[in-house]
Amino acid sequence: MISGRTMRRIIAGREAGTVLGLLVLCVALWIATPYFATAANLSNVAEQSAIVGVIAIGMTFVILTGGIDLSVGSLVALTGVVIGGALQRGWPVAGAVGAGLMAGIGAGAVNGLMITRGGLPPFIATLGMMSVARGGALLLSDGRPISGFPDPLRVIATGNLLGVPAPVVLMLVLYFVAYLVLTRTVVGRYMYAIGGNEEATVLAGVDVRFHKTVVYAVSGLSAAVCAVLLVARLDSAQPIAGIGYELDAIAAVVIGGTSLLGGSGSVIGTLIGALIMSVLRNGLNLLGVSSYLQQVAIGTVIIVAVLIDMALRRRIQRSTR
Amino acid sequence: MHGLQTVRRVVPAFCVALLVAACNRGADSSTKPTVALVVKTLNNQFFIDMEAGAKAAADSLGIELVVQAPEREIDVERQMQIVENLIQRRVKVLLLVPNGSKEIVPAVMKANAAKIPVVAVDTRIDAATLAASGATVASFIGSDNEDGGRMAGAFLVEKLGGSALVAVLEGVPGHETADARLRGFRTALAGAAGMKIVASQPANMERDQAFTVTQNILQSNPGITALFACNDVMALGAVEAIAAAKRTGSITVVGFDAQDDARKAIAEQRMGATVAQNPREMGRMAVITASRLIRGERVPAEQPVAISLVK
Repeated sequence: MISGRTMRRIIAGREAGTVLGLLVLCVALWIATPYFATAANLSNVAEQSAIVGVIAIGMTFVILTGGIDLSVGSLVALTGVVIGGALQRGWPVAGAVGAGLMAGIGAGAVNGLMITRGGLPPFIATLGMMSVARGGALLLSDGRPISGFPDPLRVIATGNLLGVPAPVVLMLVLYFVAYLVLTRTVVGRYMYAIGGNEEATVLAGVDVRFHKTVVYAVSGLSAAVCAVLLVARLDSAQPIAGIGYELDAIAAVVIGGTSLLGGSGSVIGTLIGALIMSVLRNGLNLLGVSSYLQQVAIGTVIIVAVLIDMALRRRIQRSTR
Repeated sequence: MHGLQTVRRVVPAFCVALLVAACNRGADSSTKPTVALVVKTLNNQFFIDMEAGAKAAADSLGIELVVQAPEREIDVERQMQIVENLIQRRVKVLLLVPNGSKEIVPAVMKANAAKIPVVAVDTRIDAATLAASGATVASFIGSDNEDGGRMAGAFLVEKLGGSALVAVLEGVPGHETADARLRGFRTALAGAAGMKIVASQPANMERDQAFTVTQNILQSNPGITALFACNDVMALGAVEAIAAAKRTGSITVVGFDAQDDARKAIAEQRMGATVAQNPREMGRMAVITASRLIRGERVPAEQPVAISLVK
């Protein structure tokens, strides 16, 4: 999917630290435990990374434009409950999933409008939505999980394409699309421009308010796609699902080298960031490390990744000055 | 390329540290059979006691015990990941306290496919969902939570002379353990016409949520004289909220699990009673069951653990 030239650019460029980090982590685990580097386990890790990996796509767009979206975890619950509720009422799978995706886009667009038209800081607007969506999920479902769905939905979690689990295929396709949008389209250039210097972008005649609203709608959509995966995986739609996912997604984006200040970063970095988090959790489970220590390890990786990224950035700035 | 040099220095330093930690564990090189115990969370004394009981049994039976849990009791998906990862580690038996009785079934199916026997501990795995998916559980070890709920209810009926306004702190909605306790509690109260449940709210088994929810209930229903919480963690949160409202002594709080803190609160008359399960015994029985499964022996499908009221 990625040409040799692109591969070389990634290795020599911004994602170098992240890719290297992932490789070193994999080698360390390969040495430390015989259970890590098996085909079954690697496929297992990739599958586990899909959940956070998918939300992190939308989060990358948001963070690239200099924003933040704290509502995605709650939106996973809300859109999941919409899907579950629709299925329970006898909707066909396509209709129910469609309703869930629309709900995600809608809630995301509301976030975007609150920010661009209402002038709210993204942190506040999405913090509010985080609570509204969680409450909405609890109200819609009466606080109870909805379980037991038809096979066509379950296939999204259990199926595979040439041995690659379906969630992984879906995630990779979405990353490829996001990669094309960010690197090959005008809209993608706008995302970087808005994050780099919003005022200049407005003066250049770009409809920044429209594009930013779209970005939050995309983030809502990624949360909804994540909900589809989660509902299919657990065979259950839970109003309390997704708590803390926003932070996992932000962590994946940041580990992937995207600047929280906006304007620089890439979705490929985010994908690797999401993989690092999954590989780390998987490895710690395989090694039987205590649950308490696991949290310390994950936090440490986030900090170290950002430290490396900042060191790299300073070097680049110095060499271009 | 200066940037890469920094990376070359920092990343390996960190990973070597991880590697050393990993190699020191040596779990994989040992010849002892490995058994995994996956609990709901390790933020709850109940599961820490269960872990202690399991560890003691594992040591005496020569079993390598791996204990893992998600950070949050409500995190069903994280627990599923842990189970998937332990299946990859090819543990011999999986002892599982499911966070979601239905939601964990896909993970049980994966364990079945890998021929790893699953033993449900403390919380049942939903029988109908298991049957529908063709998944199987080797044994269930735990207390009858519904019976415990009835005991708690009967205690309050007797203590308050059959007449009181009652508040209830529910657990995570839709989760089997707390639901069973609630069912039992409501059954006991249904027999006494004077006992009225005026507020019943979820506090998700967490202490801080229980504190807030109780504060709110005290605002809306100041007349309550009894409170039942589906676990001690919530009961203790309620006790603090009641103390903050200077109502200690006028509201009888009953919890579930008989944790040390709850026993202490009962001794100091800040709490009325708690239902004692025996998590240590559950952990012990679970590991013994695992060792019997490893030896290829048959195990009973149901292994009840005794329950009692502490007041």
